Amino acid sequence: MSIEVRHITRQFGKFKALDDVTLKVESGELVALLGPSGSGKTTLLRIIAGLEFPDPGPAQVLFYGDDVTHLPASQRKAGFAFQHYALFRHLSVFENIAFGLRVRPRATRPPERDILQRVETLLKLVQLEPLAQRYPAQLSGGQRQRVALARALAVEPKVLLLDEPFGALDAKVRKDLRRWLRRLHDEIHITTLFVTHDQEEALEVADRVAIMRDGRIEQIGTPDDIYDRPASPFIYDFLGNVNLFHGRIHEGRVLIGDTAFEAARGAGGPQSQAVAFVRPHDIRVTREASGRSTLAARLVRCHAAGPVAQLELERLDGGAAFAVQLSRDQFRQLQPQPGEQLFVELQNVRVFSDDYSI
Amino acid sequence: MPFRQRNVLPGFRLTLGFTLLYLSLLVLIPLAGVFVKTSTLTWDQFWGTVTAPRVLASYRLSFGAALLAATVNLFFGLLVAWVLVRYQFWGKRLVDALVDLPFALPTAVAGIALTAVYSKNGWIGAWLAPLGINVAFTPLGVFVALTFIGLPFVVRTVQPVLEDLDAELEEAAASLGANRWQTFRRVLLPILFPSLLTGFALAFARALGEYGSVVFISGNMPMKTEITPLLIITKLEQYDYAGATALAVVMLVVSFVMLLTINLLQWWGSRSHAPA
Amino acid sequence: MGPAATLNRASMTPRRRPTSEPPRVRRLLIGLALGFLALFLVVPLASVFAHALARGWGAYLKSFHDPVTFSAIKLTVIAAAIAVPLNCVFGVAAAWAIAKFRFPGKQLLITLIDLPFSVSPVISGLIFVLLFGAQGALGPWLIEREIQIIFAVPGIVLATTFVTFPFVARELIPLMQAQGRSEEEAAIVLGASGWKTFWRVTLPNIKWGLLYGVILCNARAMGEFGAVSVVSGHIRGETNTIPLHIEILYNEYNFVGAFAVASLLTLLALVTLALKTWVEWKNASAPGANHGSSP
Repeated sequence: MSIEVRHITRQFGKFKALDDVTLKVESGELVALLGPSGSGKTTLLRIIAGLEFPDPGPAQVLFYGDDVTHLPASQRKAGFAFQHYALFRHLSVFENIAFGLRVRPRATRPPERDILQRVETLLKLVQLEPLAQRYPAQLSGGQRQRVALARALAVEPKVLLLDEPFGALDAKVRKDLRRWLRRLHDEIHITTLFVTHDQEEALEVADRVAIMRDGRIEQIGTPDDIYDRPASPFIYDFLGNVNLFHGRIHEGRVLIGDTAFEAARGAGGPQSQAVAFVRPHDIRVTREASGRSTLAARLVRCHAAGPVAQLELERLDGGAAFAVQLSRDQFRQLQPQPGEQLFVELQNVRVFSDDYSI
Repeated sequence: MPFRQRNVLPGFRLTLGFTLLYLSLLVLIPLAGVFVKTSTLTWDQFWGTVTAPRVLASYRLSFGAALLAATVNLFFGLLVAWVLVRYQFWGKRLVDALVDLPFALPTAVAGIALTAVYSKNGWIGAWLAPLGINVAFTPLGVFVALTFIGLPFVVRTVQPVLEDLDAELEEAAASLGANRWQTFRRVLLPILFPSLLTGFALAFARALGEYGSVVFISGNMPMKTEITPLLIITKLEQYDYAGATALAVVMLVVSFVMLLTINLLQWWGSRSHAPA
Repeated sequence: MGPAATLNRASMTPRRRPTSEPPRVRRLLIGLALGFLALFLVVPLASVFAHALARGWGAYLKSFHDPVTFSAIKLTVIAAAIAVPLNCVFGVAAAWAIAKFRFPGKQLLITLIDLPFSVSPVISGLIFVLLFGAQGALGPWLIEREIQIIFAVPGIVLATTFVTFPFVARELIPLMQAQGRSEEEAAIVLGASGWKTFWRVTLPNIKWGLLYGVILCNARAMGEFGAVSVVSGHIRGETNTIPLHIEILYNEYNFVGAFAVASLLTLLALVTLALKTWVEWKNASAPGANHGSSP
C-alpha cells in the first residue's frame, strides 16, 4: 500500500468537506479522484500532501506504511502539481525544476553537477529541452503543466499528487496531455493520485477511479467497473450518457410502460417504484416488434455524422424522450426516417429504487 | 477557517503579532491619547473651545475651501484621466508621471512655490492683480493650495477604471444609436461614478487636514484665512494643550467619518465594477 | 476592434470610429487638461528653480555653504534612514500575515493600517506631544530620567515614522493578495523551509512593489512638514529638517536661500517620480507580473 488515508474528516464551518474518508492506493497505481466541484476531492488531495489538515480525531495519512499525518508538507516527499501550476514566475524553466534540489540543506544538497544532470534528464522526460531558459510566462498551458510535473518529479517523490492537471487547458491539448501522462506513468511507475471533474479523463487515464460525492467516496473501481456497474443513480447521472426510464419492479423484472425487461438490481429499498438506467448503445432498434419485449417509439430526429449515429426517440406511451446510439453499419441497414414508428429493446438495464431524482 | 487552524505557510503568529504590536505602539495608542486628553475637559469647556467664533471661522474656511478644491479636482481629474487614457499626444508619458507631483513634492516646497507664483508680483498673480483678483493671502489662496495637493486623487482613481473599460460597451451604445455625448452620460459616467466619488472623497479628506502648503499662501489672519490645523498649532504654541486636543478630536472624528465613507465607496465601487 | 473596422470599411465615408470624438473636441479636451496641469503643476515647479537661480549660480551654490543647512540635511537623512527601514519591515510582515492567511477582523486591520493617511499632519505631531511632551502622559517620567523626545531628534523620527507608516504595507497587501499562496505552497511541498520560501519565492515576486513602496515612503519621510513642525521645536542646527529650514529661511525673507534648499527637495521629488515611473514600467514588462498603481 503506498498511499493510505484513514478516517479523514474535514469541516469548514458548517460545511463538511470530507466525511470519514478512507482510501488505499496500491504501489505504482494511477488513481483518479473524480467528482463534481465541492465534493471534497481537492481537499483530500491537499490533506495527503500536507497542505491542509484533517480535523482532529482518528485521521491518518500513510505513505508506504509510514505514518506521515504529523509530518510537515516539506518533509513528506510528496510531489504535488497545482491546478494553476504555481510555477515560480521569476525563475526559468530550468531553475523551476531545480528548485526542490537547491533548497535542500547543504548537507543533503546534491552537487551542482548532479543537479544539472537531473534537470536535463527531467527536461528530456517531459520533452522540454529546448525551452530550459524560458520563463513561465513565455510557455503555453500544456508546457507549463509539463514543467510543473518535472518540478514535482525532481525531488524524487514517493508519490505524485496532481490537482486537476488538465483543468486549465483547452480540449485538444487536454487529450494529448492526458495520453502523455498515461505513457509517462507507464514509463516511471510512480504511485499517482490525480483529481479531476472530467469523467472521460478519469476513465481514460486511470487504473482505478474513486468517485466522490459530498465528502464521501461513493464508489471505487476500475474504469470498466465504474462504467458498467455504477453503484448509484448519482454515478450514472455524473458519468452521463445514459437514459432513464421510470417504472415498477415486478417479479424480479422491471415494468416500463406495459413491457417487462430483465434488469440487474442496484442499490435501494424494496419499493416497487423504480428507475431504470440504460446506456444509449445498449438499446437495439428494430422496425417490427419482435417476439421479445419491446417498447414502441417514434423517431424524432437522427444524425449520422461521426463514428456512431445518434437517434432521438419518443415513447408512444407518454412521449418521454430517450437517446440511442447505433453503429454506422446498423444505421445503414435500418435506414430509419424521422417520424417513423420503431421498436426498441433495452439491454443491460440497471434499476434503482425511485428515491433519487435527477 | 477557524483561528486555531494549523497552517502550511509559517510565520503567521510572528508577522501578525509584530503587525499588531507596531500598529498599537505607533498609531493606535498615541491616537487614543488624544481622546484621553480631551476627557480632562468638561463638556462645557470642550463645547466652548470647539465652537469659539475664531474656530467656527476656521471650520468654514477649511471645509469650504476643501469642498471647492475637491469639486474642481473632480471635473479636471476626470478630464485629465480621460485625456491620458483615450488620446495620444506628444509628451503624454511625461504628463502622466507629472500628475503625481503633489504626492512627491514636500508640502512646504509646494507652499512657497504657489505663494511665489500667485502673489501680486508673481508669474500668475501679476496677471490677476489688475483684474482685482488677489490669490495669495486670501481664502482663494487656500483654495489654490488645496487644489494642488488634491490633484492626483481623482485622476488616479478614475484612470484604471477607464483603462479597464470594455470597448464593446461603447460600440454597443453606438450601434444602438446613441451619440458620443449620450454614450458618455448614460453608459460611461454611471460606470465611472463610484471611482469619481472615491477620488473626490480622498481629495476632500486630504485637503481638510492639509497644513504645509496652506500656511505660506494663506497669510494666516484670524477669522479670515486661518485653517483649523493652523489653529491647533497656535494653541499648542500657547501651551493650550487641552484646547489643541479638543480641536484635534473634532478633526479626527471628521477624518474617521471620511475614512469610513471612502471604504464604503470603494466597496461599492468594487461591487458595481465587478464583471457582469 | 475587428468587426467595427470591417463595418467602417464597408460604409461610404469612414471618417472616425464610432467610439471616438471629433478631432476638434479631442484637441479642446487635451488643451483644457494640459492647461489645468500647467497652471497648477508646471508653473509652480518651474518657479522653484527660477527663484532659486534668481541671483545666479553663485548665490545658489552659496546657500548650501551653511552649517545649519548641512545639519538640516543630515537630520532629514537620519529620520528617513530610521523610518523607511522600520516601515519596510512592518509592511512586509503585515502583508505576509494579511495576504497569506485567513483570520477574522482582517478588513478592519487593513483600514487601521491606512489610518495615518487620514489624520492631519498637525495631529500626527500633536499625538506625540501629548504622549511625550513636558505636560504629556509620560512627560514627568521622561523628565526624571532626562530623556528628551519632543523638541529633539527622537520626536522627529517618531513623527516621520507615523506619517510614512502605511506606504509599504498598502503597496504590498494588494500585490501579495493577488499573487495568492500557491507558489509558496509549491516551494514548501518541494522541501523548502519557511525562510527559504520567503527569500527565494516571495521576495523576488514582490520586489518591484516593495521598491515602489520604499520610494514613496522615502519621499514623504524627507518632505514631511506639518507633523515634524509640531514636534521639532525649531532649534536651528539641531532639530530642523530640510522642510523646516526652508520655512525659516522663507520667513526671514531669504528667498534665494529658501528656494535653493527647496530646489533640492524638488529634485528629490522629480527623481522619485522618475523612479516610480521606471518601476511601473519595469513591473508591467516583467513576465507574469501585474501590479496596479495607487496613490
